Amino acid sequence: MTNISRPEVAADDRPDRHVAANVFETRDLAVYYGKFRAVRDVNLDIREREITAFIGPSGCGKSTVLRCFDRMNDLIDSARVEGTIRYHGVDLYDAQVDPVEVRRRIGMVFQKPNPFPKSIYDNLAFGPRLNGVKKKAELDDIVESSLKSAALWDEVKDRLKSSALGLSGGQQQRLCIARCVAVKPDVILMDEPCSALDPIATARIEDLMRELTNEYTIIIVTHNMQQAARVSDRTAFFTTEVNAESDRRTGVLVEYNPTSTIFSNPDDERTEQYVTGRFG
Amino acid sequence: MTDLRQNFHRDLDEIRSLIARLGALVLELIPRVTEVLLDQDLEGAEYVVLGDADVDARALDIEDRALRMLALQAPVAGDLREVASALKISADMERSADLCCNVCKAARRIYGHELDPKLRGIIQKLSDQATKEYREALDAYVNADAVKAAALPDIDGYLDDLHRQFLQQIIESHTAGSIDLQVAVQLALVARFYERLGDHAVNLGNKVRYITSGWMPEQEALARLRARDSEPESSGTE
Repeated sequence: MTNISRPEVAADDRPDRHVAANVFETRDLAVYYGKFRAVRDVNLDIREREITAFIGPSGCGKSTVLRCFDRMNDLIDSARVEGTIRYHGVDLYDAQVDPVEVRRRIGMVFQKPNPFPKSIYDNLAFGPRLNGVKKKAELDDIVESSLKSAALWDEVKDRLKSSALGLSGGQQQRLCIARCVAVKPDVILMDEPCSALDPIATARIEDLMRELTNEYTIIIVTHNMQQAARVSDRTAFFTTEVNAESDRRTGVLVEYNPTSTIFSNPDDERTEQYVTGRFG
Repeated sequence: MTDLRQNFHRDLDEIRSLIARLGALVLELIPRVTEVLLDQDLEGAEYVVLGDADVDARALDIEDRALRMLALQAPVAGDLREVASALKISADMERSADLCCNVCKAARRIYGHELDPKLRGIIQKLSDQATKEYREALDAYVNADAVKAAALPDIDGYLDDLHRQFLQQIIESHTAGSIDLQVAVQLALVARFYERLGDHAVNLGNKVRYITSGWMPEQEALARLRARDSEPESSGTE
């Protein structure tokens, strides 16, 4: 089995914090659903411990690309991935790589909070138990530290045994982030994590994302351009191109730059038009 | 193309035309205050000085709209550069109008003193050149003409030359006894006012370049500074 674990490099040992290593490198990535090419020519280097945002109109392929990073597209029969994605230098789609191990290293938070219909504690202990953690003291520690890193501990520490479904939407989403963190992943993928939340819950999660970059690499798909502007270090702008022959739309990566560039002086005219609302 | 932020972009257009109008006002002021100075027109001076409140109010209105836009509309990319520039341009124009007032105030202070033809000639040239620069800068702004904007620092070189010539002439006229010290000092200040008007025109040109491409003169200065800092010490001083 190919080893895909993150190389053990302590934060302070890195030669230069600003020259972050690449977690993912995609080359000429294209995703097909059957014969339909959903997205093409994606070349991205995702930097370690940064927040990368994917923005673009509906159908531009941003979620499709996101799902390539934890091989979720494997779960769709008709989906096919072309090109390469390297994860810490290892070909993620190599036959030797175990998709289950991939998903352990690379967590996903979805648009709608999806806690298990179990207690708060059990939601968090679920992953670690699956990974073989049995001692209660150890599980207690994981539950507490994950809730703390998701900034939820103070709100729920007195009712760990009550149902997770009793939490508010924002709390449920932070619980899902905590559940993700509990299995000590390397990367957290977020697919519109705040679109079902109110502004205060959103602000809390955005704040939390910044905290999480001390330990994790985050990729977020968002419809909210201001959210991308607020939280991310780099932004990838995708759009759709219409194929003149087939009249089908394919997503393309237009521009990938530091977020401040995208929102102050983008390189590509199409990015400028999209972010300023002159679109089409 | 569909514009998803039509109201916002309409407001932005309005700011742009308010700036153009304010700029036109300043543009008219420059030759006017020169007339006041050369003709010893006290009434004209009074009129210009009182009119400055109107310029201030217009600049404030532009600033207020730009700030409101930043607070409420979260402009980005080209829109952001446009709004951020509006804040600076309105301040530049307001300051330009102040300089014109200062010329009028200098005219009052030297009232009753005759200026010799050489001095009058250079003052007229300074005024014409400053007006010309301001017109070119305003044209560049209205037409988003980055090429014209980029030429402004060189155009301004001529005004700087005239400024030096004028100072020289003031010293000569004073030495020859045609103007007394008080007048000489006031004229030296006037020279500075015209020279500064040219600088404000250059600033406006720089903003045009920033709006159209994100270019900032400070970036070049920063690059020079970094290049200098990275040079080995043995290279010596220039």
